[in-house]
Amino acid sequence: MTSHGTRRESLYALALRFYPAHFRQAYEAAMRQAFRDALADTTLSRRTLVATVLRDLATSLPKEHFAMLRDTFARPILVYNAMVLTALATGLALALYAIPQSVLRQGANDPQIALAGDLAARLEQGVAPATAVPSASVDIARSLSPFVIVYDDQGHPLASQAQLNGQTPIPPAGVFSNVRQRGEERLSWQPVLGSGHSVRIAAVIERVQGINGAQSGFVLAGRNMREVESRISQVSQMAGLTWIGMLGVILLGTITFGWYTRPGPVSASVSERNHSSVQTGS
Amino acid sequence: MEIGIAPTTPLSPAVFAILLSLAQGDKHGYHIMKDARTAEGGSVQMGPGTLYGSLDRMMRDGLVEESGFSDDERRRYYRLTAVGDAALAGELGRLAKTIATARALGLLPQRGRS
Repeated sequence: MTSHGTRRESLYALALRFYPAHFRQAYEAAMRQAFRDALADTTLSRRTLVATVLRDLATSLPKEHFAMLRDTFARPILVYNAMVLTALATGLALALYAIPQSVLRQGANDPQIALAGDLAARLEQGVAPATAVPSASVDIARSLSPFVIVYDDQGHPLASQAQLNGQTPIPPAGVFSNVRQRGEERLSWQPVLGSGHSVRIAAVIERVQGINGAQSGFVLAGRNMREVESRISQVSQMAGLTWIGMLGVILLGTITFGWYTRPGPVSASVSERNHSSVQTGS
Repeated sequence: MEIGIAPTTPLSPAVFAILLSLAQGDKHGYHIMKDARTAEGGSVQMGPGTLYGSLDRMMRDGLVEESGFSDDERRRYYRLTAVGDAALAGELGRLAKTIATARALGLLPQRGRS
């Protein structure tokens, strides 16, 4: 072979390094031989050969890399495992959010349940609403302290500890209808502030019989949920970060597992099989 | 494609040229490339990357196999399998129907009667 031919073959050998390792391992020698045969073929002009090889490199290099990626990561078992793990991770992250959120939200009612029950009992014992309700006023937009309000049967306030924009807040009429039927209601109530903003209240409302001796009515015990919502937000962030972390671990694990268990070219396995046959004498 | 099932969709020019070349007997890489370049072989200018990439996928699909014969350890010889034979026959049949349709539509001259 001429020095030009040797140089061309060296250049081609260099270009072969850009093929995926498994493909190169299986076909490098055969490809170099085919190139050598082409160089030796007097019916093929150098110009045509160079153009064919350049076009071949431009098309087959990305194609083989894409095939390698597809063979490595698009195997059904790998995709199925990744999907199952992702579903489990998503379920776990949702549980990590939903369970503490529910516990925190339900726990936010605890003081109000006791307050409403005690106040209802005092009212039913004949204590006047103005006496039964503590005198200290609570600005529900700012304070985190629990508060109580007594309403008559039509939902008009009789005595109140709570103030919002200088007035006693009143729940929607439908709430009182529900309490009339069930005896008690636990809800998140969102009275609107004057500025257009709103404040969320964890409220417990109980039905009371015999206010001022005969009148029926309602007692409401509430508390600003700002602190509880802040904790729920932290739980949500932690669950979100845990979910992203688990997805990252699944992705990394899938890539690593896929890479180390990737199938090689058919020719490589044929060669290996032939090699082992020679060794075992079969 | 599953191993052992002849493809029902049209073959790529490279795969068709390789099957056509191997239909004439066992051949090594450059011989297949040379056959493919000819007008009879499909005028497919194929480099070693395209050839061995196609052969790898064709072996996986069971269309061709290494014959095991070699006159030089750097040269590999390939041959058609029964599935490859069926795939080639299917493709030729498809092309024959297409040509017959083209003739019927007057897009190709009618075949001369002998």
